[in-house]
Amino acid sequence: MNIDEDMQEALKIFTVECNELLEEMEACLLGLETSTEPSQTINSIFRAAHTIKGTAGLFGLDHIVKFTHVIESLLDRLRNGELSVTSELITALLPCCDHLSRLILEVINGSLEENPEATECGNRLLDALLPYQQTTATTESHITVLPETTERVETLAEKHSGYGNWLLFLQFNENCLRDGMDPLSFIHYLTTLGEIVDLATFSYTLPDVISMNPELSYLAFEIILKTDADKEAIENVFEFIREGSNIHILPLENRIPYYVELINSLTEEDAQLGSLLLKSGVITPRELEEGLKAQQAAQSPCRIGEILVEQRVVQQPLINAALEKQQQIKDNKAKEGQYIRVEADRLDRLINLVGELVISSAAAKLKGMQTTDISLQEANTSVVSLVEEVRDSALQLRMVSIGTTFNRFHRVAHDVSKELGKDIKLVINGAETEVDKSVVEKIGDPLLHLVRNAMDHGIERAELRTERGKPQQGTIRLNAYHSSGNIVIEVSDDGGGLNRDKILAKAVERGLIPAGIVPSDQDIYAFIFEPGFSTVEHLSNLSGRGVGMDVVKRNITELRGSIFIDSQAGQGTTLRIQLPLTLAIIDGFLAGVGDASYVIPLDKVVECVALPSDDHHDFMELRGEVLPFIRLRKLFNKNGATVRRQNVIVVEHAGLKAGLVVDRLMGELQTVIKPLGCLFEHVQGVSGSTILGSGEVALILDVPTLVQQQEYRQIFN
Amino acid sequence: MTAIATVTEKLPAVQRELQTASAGQYLTFVLAGEIYALGILNIKEIIDYGQLTEVPMMPSFVRGVINLRGSVVPVVDLSARFGKGSTPIVKRTAIVIVETIVQHLDTKQNVGIIVDAVNEVIEISQQDIEQPPSFGSGIRPDFINGMARRDNRFVILLNVDRVLSVEEMANLSKAALGDREHGSN
Amino acid sequence: MQTLALDGELTIYTAIEQKTALLDFLTSDNELELNLANVSEMDTAGLQLLILVKREASQNSKILRFVMHSKAVLDVLELTRMTSAFGDQIVLSAKE
Repeated sequence: MNIDEDMQEALKIFTVECNELLEEMEACLLGLETSTEPSQTINSIFRAAHTIKGTAGLFGLDHIVKFTHVIESLLDRLRNGELSVTSELITALLPCCDHLSRLILEVINGSLEENPEATECGNRLLDALLPYQQTTATTESHITVLPETTERVETLAEKHSGYGNWLLFLQFNENCLRDGMDPLSFIHYLTTLGEIVDLATFSYTLPDVISMNPELSYLAFEIILKTDADKEAIENVFEFIREGSNIHILPLENRIPYYVELINSLTEEDAQLGSLLLKSGVITPRELEEGLKAQQAAQSPCRIGEILVEQRVVQQPLINAALEKQQQIKDNKAKEGQYIRVEADRLDRLINLVGELVISSAAAKLKGMQTTDISLQEANTSVVSLVEEVRDSALQLRMVSIGTTFNRFHRVAHDVSKELGKDIKLVINGAETEVDKSVVEKIGDPLLHLVRNAMDHGIERAELRTERGKPQQGTIRLNAYHSSGNIVIEVSDDGGGLNRDKILAKAVERGLIPAGIVPSDQDIYAFIFEPGFSTVEHLSNLSGRGVGMDVVKRNITELRGSIFIDSQAGQGTTLRIQLPLTLAIIDGFLAGVGDASYVIPLDKVVECVALPSDDHHDFMELRGEVLPFIRLRKLFNKNGATVRRQNVIVVEHAGLKAGLVVDRLMGELQTVIKPLGCLFEHVQGVSGSTILGSGEVALILDVPTLVQQQEYRQIFN
Repeated sequence: MTAIATVTEKLPAVQRELQTASAGQYLTFVLAGEIYALGILNIKEIIDYGQLTEVPMMPSFVRGVINLRGSVVPVVDLSARFGKGSTPIVKRTAIVIVETIVQHLDTKQNVGIIVDAVNEVIEISQQDIEQPPSFGSGIRPDFINGMARRDNRFVILLNVDRVLSVEEMANLSKAALGDREHGSN
Repeated sequence: MQTLALDGELTIYTAIEQKTALLDFLTSDNELELNLANVSEMDTAGLQLLILVKREASQNSKILRFVMHSKAVLDVLELTRMTSAFGDQIVLSAKE
């Protein structure tokens, strides 16, 4: 790898991280108003912004740094309680997240330079933040009373913040004068390191005239020093006088953010609090050593941070920053321990190989069966079962929780309610439900459409809701759970429900159904998935644009899933999406027609019955009901010898049953799905293929399409 | 088949200059008595004709799919694609696996083609290559990249990207499907 | 009004004698003037003596003025920012 590639690699990681951080930031912003621990949430947001800024800086992405800096400072004020959380502020900050995403996207697309158009955009966003930014620095008057030291330290520091960077508190060993060391000469020496911006002399320890010993040193000094020297260099000035003296060197209050930042930006080799403080230069090795000694000597266990603050070598905020950093490092370490980031491609390759292995081992087992070698058969059986376990574990690797997808909808709900002027809350359940990554990737858009749709058309306006005796605030629910090898995702609203009669009228008008027939409610609702079907007179710019319900339906069908609608007038609508847990594997039922084998997804199979001998009709009676047939031999134009006794596989989809007439029943199998490729994308009734143990390619039947076509024919013939 | 004819007529005029084949190594094969050649750079492998699974409702030139070491690969009957009827399967029938580019998806896909027999790999120099005839070869002009004279015979140099255009074949399948549905109503 | 002119060093080496002298001087009147023109050297010990007598004077409601600060004194007062705390008029001499 050359430098360029290294850089590219690093940049890639940066963008991935940024996107994760932005997601987190967004989620936190959205959760801020309802958070039980807002300070923690604000901290997370701040940290995210801070990390983005810091890392962007490493790559010289100055425009990102510049933009993020403003946000970071604002968040810092929020963190310090100078600002309070308001929904306006959140609304102003959210687009900033989006803008950052956009900037990151540009980086992903290879543009490391500032894009003037984007900058302008960003500036507009920052303008919206102006009301929250610090306008004038408040200066407090210098308090002249000289009470307790600590208070004064702060007073002096406040007054001079902006000039110096170190605050020194010096109270020398009272015998220093006798030892030939004059405190003043040390102070004087400080001027060689930098400029003494301010100095206060304290004489509060000076005893009364009688007991005052003129040979002892009583005076104390506070100095604000402006210097480029580090803490250790300053400390070294007092090396010879340190013994018995009280010397504290602290970064000035106004410099604390700088050190906090420094601590935050430290690399993560060391998670020790002391070393974090040491590395950032806020304490010196000696101070640390003494602190540690004190810690050891302490009667009761106490934290090094507390000791350091007590010994006044460092201020509390810095300890807090270091502790926070420490926690972050620990978290990261813990995360590293629990997770390994793997490229999706590699995982796919593994899963493909495992798929091959399943097929090959099945083939080996088949071959073994043809021999009389019992031990070979036994060995094969154990290989097959192990391989199946391997396959299951491999598939497990691709399982992710649906929560990430769901959480995106907080933002959608937030934005869309603003846009529509409706008060709508989003409730998420079952976020931890796991499903294959490829399903998660493909379900986002259909869900987005359903949620928008529910918010736009489902939830009524506030007045109407009040009239109907419902709470003003509408609720959208996203729910997920596992059900018999599938994941079920529900999008429900507590809105007005679907208008059954209107849909039916429209369906008749569109010629989708002959007039006079009254289908079940389910069937009526299903018409909303027809292309171009809309009962809304005025399309809002929200749901009117983009994909329609037919596209949602198609996307879901492509995922081998199905969608059902439950609706109660005045109560709300629930859209229930059922999807396979994985797109890579299917439990199927194998059937033979002519010389070919077909796989029927097992979850669609109800039962198998023998075809009645008087088979001249395209339907049969099954327990008092009429069951329409699809003769696969005819549908697929299969020639070849007919078998004497054919079978019917009863399949069901969306409440519709149909029989598939086949020549042979060959039993259940679990198999790896192979896409047929784009050449076959228009083929109807076939959803994919799989390779059988014999090496033969078997087509997987698309039951929903077959059943629907069957119904279509029935209605019109 | 009417669908294929319709699409053929709609094809844009072909720019000959750009189509002429370049010198290099070619694999020659026999199909219905005619000798064709494909540039070897596109050829992945040659396998014996084996177990093939038909895919229903596809035009006749898509014979089906095969299992190529775990991948499902479509197999095209070139003879049918040229409008010359299905290729009968004989003992020497082979499948040549060719890599094509699916332009609208910007991916590569392997496609198998059925040939009566594979001949040899030959070196064709630039001076051996002649412009494709605008008619008379019996197949669509845009399928041909050029003609090469070889042992007093003409070898037809095929334009893989056109002959095995996945987009075009998929569209033809769609059209065929439409015909079928139309017919059934 | 009594005046005392300090002579020589105002340092750790002379601190004990100077303290006695200064306290004696403090009792001599209610309005006092300490002439520092001839202080050749001053250190922390000297400084805290000046602070001590100043405090003692104000506690006893006496007026004590430091006058004619020598350069050695001025340097220390400048360094320790005590000039204004003492509140004495400082005459900057041009000769040094």
